[in-house]
Amino acid sequence: MKVTLNIRRFNPEKDEKPYRKDYEIDVPETFRILDCLDKVKWDIDGELAYRRSCSHGICGSDAMMINGKNMLACQVLVKDFKKKYITIDPIPSLPVIKDLIVNMDSFFKKYEVVKPYLISKEQPPVKERLQSQADRELIDEAVNCILCGACSASCPSLWSNENYLGPAAMLKAYRFIFDSRDDAADERLDIVDTTDGLWRCHTIFNCVEVCPKEINLTWHISQMKKKCAMREL
Amino acid sequence: MSTNSFKFAGGRNSGAKNWYMQRITGILLVVVLIGHYILMHATPESGHTYKAVMDRLHQPAWKVIDMAFVTLGLWHGLNGLWNVIRDYEMKPIMTTVLYTVLVLIALVFWFIGLNTILSF
Repeated sequence: MKVTLNIRRFNPEKDEKPYRKDYEIDVPETFRILDCLDKVKWDIDGELAYRRSCSHGICGSDAMMINGKNMLACQVLVKDFKKKYITIDPIPSLPVIKDLIVNMDSFFKKYEVVKPYLISKEQPPVKERLQSQADRELIDEAVNCILCGACSASCPSLWSNENYLGPAAMLKAYRFIFDSRDDAADERLDIVDTTDGLWRCHTIFNCVEVCPKEINLTWHISQMKKKCAMREL
Repeated sequence: MSTNSFKFAGGRNSGAKNWYMQRITGILLVVVLIGHYILMHATPESGHTYKAVMDRLHQPAWKVIDMAFVTLGLWHGLNGLWNVIRDYEMKPIMTTVLYTVLVLIALVFWFIGLNTILSF
């Protein structure tokens, strides 16, 4: 099957500004977009740069904008696209290092702000910290985040205000705020209940549409808004 | 925007307070607005002449309702505008300037509104 990849290229050492380049390849329809990129890199243009690691939708390193929508290149097949002219761009709102590779420093700085680790005042138990099934259900979706950045890079609130924590960091805050084993919910709520936190989310749902793990991020953010509102009563 | 210049401002102000007030004022405004429409648009028999309006404005209850209308409308509208402004990244000095402008607008219009209502 003939497929044309229209890729946004930019090498800061050579190019003054980004440009687009077409690559026509012949691949089976069961090829993933990541396989297509591999084919381009290995057979046509070795200079093409993109991130990949596990290639199975777990590491989250190959998030990119394919046909205008953020997704994981390893999770979509060529046959998923009607037109075989496929545009590929780096995920928006983050500085491009080269081609499809973006600098994710600010993404991870935001992630660190919400204290993405268990804070427990209890002594560590001998075996493990137990949790009821009902308690675990509260964080069932939130723990699935693979930190690919597709959600935050698709958020218009974040496009207009870079200081907004964004859906990914917010989801991580939820993951610990609603974890029965964690004792720092108030500390984290104080962090997200700020101008650049929860209240910049205007329920646009872009994050929900692009999440490769099908996490309903807006719902999780709304639960924290409710919790913050209840605290004020 | 793609500069990687993220800086977490934090802050002591809870956004939840403004969120609550926006909704409370919104609900109250709907109630007052429905009353306003019934009185001014749906029931001509309630009197729309200069004299009828003057008579109403002389009653303390109407003054309270109108003052509430002015206060709620200004708070709801300007807080909404403030929220829109905060959606954009800007230098702290710009944020302070815009906040001051909004507070001044609120005070000026509140004063004009109350002065008009209380002068009858």
